[in-house]
Amino acid sequence: MPKKTTILRFLAALALFAAVDAWVYFTLRGTLRSQEARDSESRLTLLARSAPADPENLDTWLASVPESLPGGAAVYLIPTEDPEAYETRSSDEEAARLWDSVSGGADAAKGLESAYYFENYASPQRVEYGGQRVRLFYAPVLDESESELLGIAVFLAPEAGNRTLERLFALFAVGTLVLYAALSGISRFARDPTVGYAVVILAGIAGVFIAYPLAEALRLSFLKEGRFSLEIWKDVLSGAHLQALWGSVRLGIWTASVSTVIGFVFAFAIHRTGIGGKKFLSTIAQLPVISPPFSLTLSVILLAGNNGLITRQLLGLQNFSIYGLSGLVIVQTVGMFPIAYLTLAGVLQAMDSTLEEAALDLNAGRWRAFRTVTLPLAVPGILSAWLLVFTNSLADFANPLLLAGNYRVLSVEAYIQVTGRNDLGGGAALSLLLLLPTLTAFFLQRNWVAKRSFVTVTGKPNAKLVEIASPRVRFALGAGVWTCVALILGLYGTIVAGCFVKNWGIDYSFTLSNIGEALTRGRDAIRSTVTLAAAATPVAGLLAMAAALVFVRKTFAGKRVLEALMMTPFAVPGTLLGIAYILAFNKAPLILVGTSAIIVINYVIRELPVGIESGVASLRQIDPSIEEAAKDLGADEGTVFRTIVLPLVRPAFITSMSYTFVRSMTAVSAVIFLISARWYHMTVLIYNFSENLRFGLASVLATVLIVIVLGAFALMRLLVRDTGALEKTITR
Amino acid sequence: MAKQPVAVTLDDVTRVYKNVKGRPDVVAVRQASFEVAPGELVTLLGPSGCGKTTTLRMIAGFDLPSSGLIRIGGEDVTNLPPNKRDTATVFQSYGLFPHMTVAENVAYGLRVRNVPKAEQEERVRRALSLTGLSDYAERSPGRLSGGQQQRVALSRSLVVEPGVLLLDEPLSNLDALLREQMRVEIRRIQKSLGITAVYVTHDRTEAMSLSDRVIVMKDGRIRQIGSPSTIYEDPDSVFVAGFVGKVAFFPVAVEGLEGPGCACVLHGKTVRAGKRAPGVAAGKPGILMARPESLRLGAPGQGVADGTVRQNVYLGSSVETFVTTEYGELLVQVDDPAGKRIPAEGEAVSISFNEARVRVLPPETE
Ligand SMILES: Nc1ncnc2c1ncn2[C@@H]1O[C@H](COP(=O)(O)OP(=O)(O)OP(=O)(O)O)[C@@H](O)[C@H]1O
Ligand SMILES: [Mg+2]
Repeated sequence: MPKKTTILRFLAALALFAAVDAWVYFTLRGTLRSQEARDSESRLTLLARSAPADPENLDTWLASVPESLPGGAAVYLIPTEDPEAYETRSSDEEAARLWDSVSGGADAAKGLESAYYFENYASPQRVEYGGQRVRLFYAPVLDESESELLGIAVFLAPEAGNRTLERLFALFAVGTLVLYAALSGISRFARDPTVGYAVVILAGIAGVFIAYPLAEALRLSFLKEGRFSLEIWKDVLSGAHLQALWGSVRLGIWTASVSTVIGFVFAFAIHRTGIGGKKFLSTIAQLPVISPPFSLTLSVILLAGNNGLITRQLLGLQNFSIYGLSGLVIVQTVGMFPIAYLTLAGVLQAMDSTLEEAALDLNAGRWRAFRTVTLPLAVPGILSAWLLVFTNSLADFANPLLLAGNYRVLSVEAYIQVTGRNDLGGGAALSLLLLLPTLTAFFLQRNWVAKRSFVTVTGKPNAKLVEIASPRVRFALGAGVWTCVALILGLYGTIVAGCFVKNWGIDYSFTLSNIGEALTRGRDAIRSTVTLAAAATPVAGLLAMAAALVFVRKTFAGKRVLEALMMTPFAVPGTLLGIAYILAFNKAPLILVGTSAIIVINYVIRELPVGIESGVASLRQIDPSIEEAAKDLGADEGTVFRTIVLPLVRPAFITSMSYTFVRSMTAVSAVIFLISARWYHMTVLIYNFSENLRFGLASVLATVLIVIVLGAFALMRLLVRDTGALEKTITR
Repeated sequence: MAKQPVAVTLDDVTRVYKNVKGRPDVVAVRQASFEVAPGELVTLLGPSGCGKTTTLRMIAGFDLPSSGLIRIGGEDVTNLPPNKRDTATVFQSYGLFPHMTVAENVAYGLRVRNVPKAEQEERVRRALSLTGLSDYAERSPGRLSGGQQQRVALSRSLVVEPGVLLLDEPLSNLDALLREQMRVEIRRIQKSLGITAVYVTHDRTEAMSLSDRVIVMKDGRIRQIGSPSTIYEDPDSVFVAGFVGKVAFFPVAVEGLEGPGCACVLHGKTVRAGKRAPGVAAGKPGILMARPESLRLGAPGQGVADGTVRQNVYLGSSVETFVTTEYGELLVQVDDPAGKRIPAEGEAVSISFNEARVRVLPPETE
């Protein structure tokens, strides 16, 4: 328990800070207001000057006043012989009535008197006009020599005041106070302030860059012209969009099912049978995971599109169209079966094959052993793989964007709503709708399937392999797997070939000109893509490791909430996050749209969950007494993190950094909303080229991207390899 | 590595782990108060889960007391983080840094304290030679035997010249022989440096052979503090008597207090006990305790209890005779057996005790 004097001192410091803070705020606001009052007075004076000398033209002028004075009006008084009486003209009926009601008062008399002395008078009086409060401003209208009073303009001017700026000041004042309270509270009361600061920083990041944008997206989907309304949701839940939802789900089911089957065949063939070339097969099977968006689609279009090499040139098909559900299932399966493969490979590798051996010993046939032992044990893994692919398929944006044709899916629908119809609220609602099936699948996978698979799959990972496939089955599996691999390689080969073809579909002559043109036109995009990804990489890596450390080793109030919040972007489709970011950051207090910062932040936020997970997993394996020993020897939290934690979690650290880099290089679904002319992304450029049928250029950029990504992965392998020995000593 | 040793004081320290998911709160340590004098080695001894580690971790600063004060060298450190305390801990699992060599491990504490490079090297060299590790300086700790890792951990803690050395079951991962060697070694180093040390163990032999004083704990409570001989000879409770050594218990009714001992009734016979623990009162029941070496065998009917010999265990310098009686199986130690008649297994005997050496304890309340 902190001592009473510490608390008192803290409260005193807080009060002092609050007083200074308030003083600064009110001074600023006062300055702002008087500045604005002065501005508005000089504007009104100028407006009065513009009044015509000729009464004939007065009505036109009066009618034009609301244009220069939005929400305001004017009454014009022309002096008559009688010094007490005026001829009154006004902008509209309401203004005239208003003037009637105030003209008898003392304040009006004062205003008129000032006018006679050729002076302005800003009345303190406020009246209702057009449903809002306006103030009265009396300005004399003089002749050219400025010696005679032609008339008196009485303006009904809406209360001046830059509300947004004032609110911003207020927000700032409150923000600094809260920040001061938090930080000084931590430094005074926390035993280890570094942890406190880290938690505050993480909570700040999660709050501002995850919770706030998503909340904004939700809020704005319930607003129509600034008011609460269910209209957007009514529209979204009407038939047309629901059809797109069903389209997404249907596509997800197809892709997930086909991918899981192929993934299982691969995993089984590679990890449970004695076919040759396992290492090569496994590498190729993982390739599509890191391949840039659009590249596989591009390749499929080149081969089987309207002018495809196979469909048109070789087979001469006329009415064939790859655009639509079947085409999408093909590209998504090629791109996503690796997820299923990796999941199932883990499961099959961990499965104790003595169980199968036991089944064989009991004279069960091979097929029977597979059906009664292998398959049931793999069921949780299969479900898990299916759900993972399903989520990915639903969130996929790039493939449908190019290849959907008339088939409708939600992610593209949301994109069109935003860019085509400029309807941000609608786009937000559509992508929120997408959250429904994705989140369901995500939580099913996390909380149900993933847990069960840990229970059922036990045993030694290095258990000896028991061949349960007969030679014939093995041959069939091998043939299938090698066919798939050939297909994948063919798709990549097509992209490379596309670089050197003059005009795909029409003129297949060899050329090098694509390369030059693509690199010239794409130079800025390449540079900014690499720059932004490189900027996000260390930030995401360090942040992920720090967060993992805090989550694994520290306890604090609200830890679970913070953890859940930081993991949220993992389950949220990129489309939603992108739309949420433009909604939240195109206005005060944080105007980031158009900057490079918003893109980098988006990358970091999206890739944090994976980094945190690998950091957590590797920290769990490290004996906490290692860190305690360091602390005990005099190292503070920061030093422990730098000298002990980071070196020990190095594999996770490097993996998460390279993952961030690659994913940021190949991002599209969120970043397509955030790019600007200055900060462009290669993937979007590839898309643009493809849309304009400049397949050669698109192929070159896709190839460049693939090369960069593969390079990054090779580098990572190199850096992580020599830490193998280290990992062993940690887990001893 | 000579430095003025400091005292450690715990004042009414309690640690409560708040209930997790509906389970009741765990009171890991309950109102612990004790002082470790400068240069003294004190052992925390008790069965598993009695709060030894928790106590040690609060001294080191890894854990915070729910209430109470901890002082090191007179300074209140209750709320100081571990890196600001003048303590160094040797962990049960050693906590060696796997990515550093032995020398780097040992130098770590000096490095984070910004000790000049030359001095670092000199001190690391001395610490390693103190623990006999000079030849292993450039090895990776992962490639050392358990005993060597243990020494690295010890050197790493000693090199920073802590005011207090804390050891949490440092020998539990070693085999029996090595354990004995290291025990002697630790004691030798601790004495030669004159360093204050708190040592946690659940092994009574370890506690007895190492310590200046032993603190016996049970269920988070300190049951007795005293020198090894006091704890063994003059325990204050049935639990302590039973935990620190073999013992026979006889339920008695206390008749009257006599000097340092008392008279009591055992099975209708009045017997005298030369010692009694606080809390023993006339007219109340009590427990009479006798160590095996203060029991004697005799012909049936001559002693305080009759029984039959179940087994003799010949140990060279003594024979341990297990006798089945109405008070359970009692162990009688016969010293210097040569030339004495040892009753055969199955023979009826009686047991009597040396009245000056037995002690009456209050019955255990819990
Ligand atoms: N972090 C914790 N949360 C909840 N209860 C705890 C925690 N740490 C320890 N305890 C409980 O506090 C009690 C004392 O634990 P402690 O580790 O101090 O025992 P110990 O005497 O060192 O035992 P051992 O000899 O087995 O190491 C135990 O009942 C334990 O379950
Ligand atoms: Mg313990």
